Amino acid sequence: MPLTVIRSLEKDLSLKAKEFLLTMQEFFLFSLRAFFTLPKLRRYWRDFLDQATICGTDSIPIVLVSAISIGSLLAIEVGNLLEDFGAKTMLGRSTSISVIRELGPLLMGLMLSARFGSRNGAELGAMQISEQIDALRAFGTDPVAKLVMPRLAAALIMFIPLTALSDFAGLQSAAYLAEHYHHLDPGIFWNAVYPRLGPKDFVVGFAKAPVFAIIITLVSSYNGFIAKGGTAGVGRATIKGIVVSSGLVLIANFYVSKIVLENM
Amino acid sequence: MIELRNVTLKYGEKVILKNVSLSIRDNTIKAILGPSGVGKSTILKLMLGLIKPNSGHIIVDGTDITNLKETELYPIRRKMGMVFQGNALFDSMSISENLGFFLRENLKLPEEEVQQRVAEQIKFSGLEGYEDQLPENLSGGMRKRVAIGRALIFKPHMILFDEPTAGLDPVSSKRILHLISTLQQSSNLGAVIVTHIIDDVFSIADHAAVLYQGEIIFDDETEKLHRSEHPFIRSILSDKILEL
Repeated sequence: MPLTVIRSLEKDLSLKAKEFLLTMQEFFLFSLRAFFTLPKLRRYWRDFLDQATICGTDSIPIVLVSAISIGSLLAIEVGNLLEDFGAKTMLGRSTSISVIRELGPLLMGLMLSARFGSRNGAELGAMQISEQIDALRAFGTDPVAKLVMPRLAAALIMFIPLTALSDFAGLQSAAYLAEHYHHLDPGIFWNAVYPRLGPKDFVVGFAKAPVFAIIITLVSSYNGFIAKGGTAGVGRATIKGIVVSSGLVLIANFYVSKIVLENM
Repeated sequence: MIELRNVTLKYGEKVILKNVSLSIRDNTIKAILGPSGVGKSTILKLMLGLIKPNSGHIIVDGTDITNLKETELYPIRRKMGMVFQGNALFDSMSISENLGFFLRENLKLPEEEVQQRVAEQIKFSGLEGYEDQLPENLSGGMRKRVAIGRALIFKPHMILFDEPTAGLDPVSSKRILHLISTLQQSSNLGAVIVTHIIDDVFSIADHAAVLYQGEIIFDDETEKLHRSEHPFIRSILSDKILEL
């Protein structure tokens, strides 16, 4: 009996491993296709503009809210900590590095994973379930070029200004809290920010924007493309897209920082 | 002409089609009849190269499309128009945008010609006044007519219908069948109709094939169905609608 159970488990594991490898292969080919169709951007410029509005302009409020909240929180907590050491004048330096290198891009990535990624997963999943993606293929249109490539191009371009906006809002809110909560002169705060920030800090922060754009767009779109099983399947595809892309954003955030800081 | 030669298709361990051979000549209407879930729609997807068989060959106008790459399949697919069971209309586009989409996208026709063809198709499908409506605002029968119009607008040689009257009321069904029949006579189109409704087969199909348990058990002129001794065909002729 135990031998049968072990054999059945072994079979299940081997099937799961095979399934995982096949999915990885499919995802890799899907991603390559999305990149190879980038030269067709001119043909799909309307789709690109629509997607740029969705992931860019329409995402401004959520990026601002998250950046302002994290900037304010940092200013309060780090300020309290520095006050204990009599180093409150260093508040600008510590918050600016945290916001620009790490928390600004990371929080923006997670917010966009939830907002832009969920939209991609749900929209493309619904198109898959209702055979609209098959219809594109049946009439001779490449669905990856039409549906995924404009999303990828829009995210690659729009995530950079969104990162800048996130950094700016985070720092402004930190400066505001430094002045009104910790009673720190704005001149002291900004003096600690500017001379201390080097190109390396901006490279770390801004290099994350295209990496997150690729992860969020491709993971969520792929999950939409393989959705099956009716409306529940669309829900599953959307959730999987958000969970996997958020996890990958967190991992990528660490590795981008590590690679850039070690090599600059 | 479309041919399936000894096609076998499996999903995991489940065999969907076993050694299926079929041919559809231009200028004729062929119905593929069978119970729900037996793999009829799968045959249409195989003909378009949307899925690949495990073995066998699919030949379209003399070209073996079985192992063609996706990009190589696009020109082949443009010879055929497909009407999906759920219509698969682009729900964010108006009716005229749905009709003109592939003309702009694939044929890159001048905008004037696109407009002209869309207007002709709207008239032919009896959809005047609905040009700017979204598909969700139309009835089932009207959506089906838009889907047929979209498949016809770039003048394919062959049109594939997946359950064209499923879910429609009797009047809309009759109208759709009349539209298909008119089309075949006026444009000399070939058509493949997948259905589980026997009356539809006798109404419009010149030839019929019956798919049962993954195999073709009948493939001949429609009228000869009455002479078949196969117990499954005898049973469906008495029941009229297959709900097995």
